[in-house]
Amino acid sequence: MTQLITQEELQKIVKAVPMLSPSASRLLQVAAQADHDLVDIINLVKFDANLTARVLKVVNSAAFSLVSKVSSIDRAVSYLGERIVVGIALGDCAGKLFTKELSGYESTSGSLWKHDLRAAIAAREIVVECKAEGISAELAFTAGLLHDIGKSLISDYLQGSVPEAIALLNGEDSPDYLEAEEKLIGFNHTQAGYELAKAWQLPDELAEAILYHHEPEKAAEEYRPLVYAVHLGDSIAMLGGFGTGADSMRYKLDPGYKNYIKVSPNALSKVMLAVDMEFEKLEGSMNGPGEQSQ
Amino acid sequence: MGQIILGVGDYGASNTPGDDVKTFALGSCVSVILLDPKTRTVGMAHVALPDSSINKAKAAEKPGYFADTAIPALLEKMATFGCDKRGKGMIVKLCGGANVMDANDTFQIGKRNALAIKKILWSYGMGAVSEDLGGNYSRTVSISVSAGQITLSSPGKPNWLL
Repeated sequence: MTQLITQEELQKIVKAVPMLSPSASRLLQVAAQADHDLVDIINLVKFDANLTARVLKVVNSAAFSLVSKVSSIDRAVSYLGERIVVGIALGDCAGKLFTKELSGYESTSGSLWKHDLRAAIAAREIVVECKAEGISAELAFTAGLLHDIGKSLISDYLQGSVPEAIALLNGEDSPDYLEAEEKLIGFNHTQAGYELAKAWQLPDELAEAILYHHEPEKAAEEYRPLVYAVHLGDSIAMLGGFGTGADSMRYKLDPGYKNYIKVSPNALSKVMLAVDMEFEKLEGSMNGPGEQSQ
Repeated sequence: MGQIILGVGDYGASNTPGDDVKTFALGSCVSVILLDPKTRTVGMAHVALPDSSINKAKAAEKPGYFADTAIPALLEKMATFGCDKRGKGMIVKLCGGANVMDANDTFQIGKRNALAIKKILWSYGMGAVSEDLGGNYSRTVSISVSAGQITLSSPGKPNWLL
């Protein structure tokens, strides 16, 4: 039997989550600025010894099969790209959230990270493959990584609720899982994630992507293209068989994406294949919070 | 007695009593299951996309990934167990091909997978005797080689047979 979470309780849950490391926080801020340069990212990484070590470890991992060892952080960041560096920083300081067992969704530990990583790759690939204008592919990746972080906050409160949620979905007005969450505990995972985004002082683009990834038409106009990319990335991750348990694929696709991203069936196939290939590479090398795949 | 776990784009077969052939969390992917009563062999392919023309190199490396290359590869594999090369006498079952809610034509990738598989099967004169396709939920499939029984599961739903 689930219980409604009050706004006060939600604030308590959010407060109990560790803050982001200063470098992860700064990286997210810089990554969201339209006019930033890779040098800005490199400079941030340089001042964090742990992050520098992790980035070098990833670039030199077997997955990237480089001929000679990379020892300069400049070269490592250039080679990996900012999205992977941001991903490493996030995984390092929020790993516990990403690997938490989502028992409220009848899902195992590690499934959230895998889903998020695939959604991130898919959001980036769809922007690149479909040549979507006005969307930063790198930022789409970062937003994809963060979009479902709220599930980690509310999962415990959804314990044992799956049969009830599924029964709600089969009801008359055919709601999606988002509405089922709201009916069961008073909040859905996007609202919980948004509260965390505010506590972490994430840039508005990322906070909106978290809040509206299932309802992209509600996002502020300036962020809407990015939010649609994350919306599609999330759907593609679920279609690829990497959801987060009982809620997988039980969300609505918003056809409004067509106003921002022109997707053909062939492009979708290409993106899905690219996601599988890139995921294999990244999951093995970024290992941080990731676990062995099934 | 063991478990043969097939990932995305994998295919495999077994005629060892006690074995289970299994694949996890089919989303829009479709599982093609071939049962050969004569040799008591079970085969399965976890197909991700309809057409290999988008990446021939991937198809060469992982033929089970695409509908058009998966079925010939699976039949070839099953022939090593003494099954008919063209699938004569085999029972065909299909499952998976799910979608997110309200998906438009472009996103009907599960439907396109199923259709592509059926077309290839027809070219061999084969057709599915039962199928569990579509819907908005993921499916895990487990086939027992001894009984030829196919069990499907999905979070929040009681298991069911195909």
